[in-house]
Amino acid sequence: MKTPELVASSWPHIHSGNSVQNMMLTLIIALLPAVVAAFLVFGLDTLKVVIIAMASAIFWDAVLQKLFKKSLTVYDLSAAAYGLVFAMLLPVTIPWWIIVLGTLVMMLLGKHVYGGLGCNPFNGVLIAYVALLLSYPGHMGNWPMPTSDMMMTQYPPLVELKENGPFLLEDAFPVKDLFLGTNLITGSIGEISKLALLLGGLFLIVRKKISWIIPASFLFGLTGFATIFWLIDPNTYASPIFHLLAGGSLLAAFFLATDWPTSPVTKYGMVFFGLMCGVMTMVIRSWSQWAEGAYFAVFIVSMITPYFDKIRPKVFGARFTSKRPVRL
Amino acid sequence: MRAGRLRGGLVLSYPTNGLASPFEDVASPSTAVVPLQQDQGGACAPKVKKNDDVLVGQMIGESQNLHGASIHAPISGKVTEIIKTFQSISGQTVPAVVIESDGQAQWIDNPAESDPLVALQLAGIVDYDRQTIPLADKLEQARTRNVNSLIVNALDIEPILSSRGRLLQEQPAKIATGIDAIKKILNVTQVFITVDENAFQSVSSIQSALGGSTHILPLCNKYPQAVDYMLVKYVTHVEIPCADGVCIPDVGAVVVDVESLAAVGRKKPVVERFLTVTNSKGHVKNIRVTIGTPIRTVLDHCGITPDKGGKILAGGPMSGMAVASPDLPVTKDLVGIHVQSQREVVAPADATCIKCGLCVEVCPMRLMPFMISGFSEKGMYAEAQHYDISACIECGCCEYLCPVKIPMVQFIKFGKKQISDQRSGA
Repeated sequence: MKTPELVASSWPHIHSGNSVQNMMLTLIIALLPAVVAAFLVFGLDTLKVVIIAMASAIFWDAVLQKLFKKSLTVYDLSAAAYGLVFAMLLPVTIPWWIIVLGTLVMMLLGKHVYGGLGCNPFNGVLIAYVALLLSYPGHMGNWPMPTSDMMMTQYPPLVELKENGPFLLEDAFPVKDLFLGTNLITGSIGEISKLALLLGGLFLIVRKKISWIIPASFLFGLTGFATIFWLIDPNTYASPIFHLLAGGSLLAAFFLATDWPTSPVTKYGMVFFGLMCGVMTMVIRSWSQWAEGAYFAVFIVSMITPYFDKIRPKVFGARFTSKRPVRL
Repeated sequence: MRAGRLRGGLVLSYPTNGLASPFEDVASPSTAVVPLQQDQGGACAPKVKKNDDVLVGQMIGESQNLHGASIHAPISGKVTEIIKTFQSISGQTVPAVVIESDGQAQWIDNPAESDPLVALQLAGIVDYDRQTIPLADKLEQARTRNVNSLIVNALDIEPILSSRGRLLQEQPAKIATGIDAIKKILNVTQVFITVDENAFQSVSSIQSALGGSTHILPLCNKYPQAVDYMLVKYVTHVEIPCADGVCIPDVGAVVVDVESLAAVGRKKPVVERFLTVTNSKGHVKNIRVTIGTPIRTVLDHCGITPDKGGKILAGGPMSGMAVASPDLPVTKDLVGIHVQSQREVVAPADATCIKCGLCVEVCPMRLMPFMISGFSEKGMYAEAQHYDISACIECGCCEYLCPVKIPMVQFIKFGKKQISDQRSGA
């Protein structure tokens, strides 16, 4: 045996093969059922919005990386994945130039001004959403009419709740239709089929890309808060089931609140973060001028993520106090 | 009996299991290089001179402190050289003795020693828990704290290794004798044997040989459960902090691994090691090898050729130290050999953390690895200490899962070194 030239480095010497690319690809796959569900309702317009959002996000990412003199990392699929998540928040009627503007805001203010993926304190998707909602409320609230003449309502469930109160909600939006996204319920692309979102979210959890704690505590906080007020006054407040299934509750819980850079990493931090997101969603839905509060809620609560991360678990052995031997 | 499970850590599975592969003897070398420091007890003083004749088991390095582990000639023959500066596997510079074999393999008759702890020291028995610790030292610490239970660590340090599990099958009588001897030294009543659930059957003979209150605790395959802290937690449900002033025997238990127990049972100086030799292609072989044999000879015996740009690891792929050269000899701090080809070598990346939280979730010590590694990288050692960098056991689970491949273990080791240097400087 000749003496080979060996490599020496610190352990561990093996790697799981996990990568940003892998995580982003899983995220994209997890959202595909929701895209398909929206496609079945809105037709080809869905694909148009999704493709413009993903392509422009990749384009802006590459351009901004060049401008900021960073190495080109669009192949890690993060731009594509965030572009897809962003498309989930848009109505299919939106003009193409607003999407392109939105992805520019997303990539610039949500990623590159802070130094790249991981350094951003806010989810770029939500920054872009908030910017567009404030700048173009008309376009963002231009709800598409599903292709049929048998319309019961032309508004998404939460807008209906805001405009007309909880009366007749159960007739207009049966739980089965809210869950499956059938029977002409409108909304943004990602708000159509809750079944599809649930499948995608569970896929992310099973593949261990996100923790189950944030979605679970988010939905618990939301339904718990909704239940309290529904029990107090069912004439003013809608039922917790309605709040759970209407609008973007599930989308926000599984795909926005769990955004890696902007969500807490400690167990208790995640619990409090999720609960607070859920409660904040209900506060905004109930007492603000906005119909949908889930996206705002995640955006606002992510501001205090660094403080949630201070709720650290006790380190191994931290509870050890006495030197008295434990007798077995 | 239901197998226990470590909270945190990784399930690493390998296609081939070495538990079924019996120990093969590697031929004694014609020339053995024996470094005079092979454990954390400090360097031994040379007891032989150039051109001295030595017999197998003759002490060639005497431990400086009372509870170290002495070093013995692994082969009989002539001392041809005493190297003053020899680089050991761990990178330390230590003296070493070179012995040319006479082919006789004749054992020396060492006089019997009445004090059992001194006998362990003179026999050069070491225990392995992340580091090689002289067994006499470990037991002395336990004896002064009046421990009442002995935890036998029959789990392999990494799932890819199988030498401890195999030793249970092949030398149960020796291990039982060893356990008996240590029970007498420490005056303990209870014995807990922690064993991999797959090697579970082989323990029953040990249990029947010991009788009394001997409990067998099977554990699922999870890394890093073979660390003393984890085993004590599993048995006693008490977490002992990795801090100064507290040690494991404070809870009344001491952990000893089966390899040192078998060495105690043999009642002879330690001149051989039981190793698992593996490579990344699924090759597994358990071997018995004389100390001082070059790693190259071991690999030749197993038919493994390291290639250019690959790695030879002392231990397993998760926590093994990369060896600088295949010419280094087998010592007591070697628990296994793993060979990686160039293709399997993982290059760490200089990338930004995306705060995915996988490292926090997996950490068996409930630390925030990305924080302490980041603080160490930036030289913020006070903050790193605030985040309990000292509690890190450097198992490497965090880095294994990291999507951007931050070399967290390296940063943490660096930070710890800087902190200890600052302390000793101040």
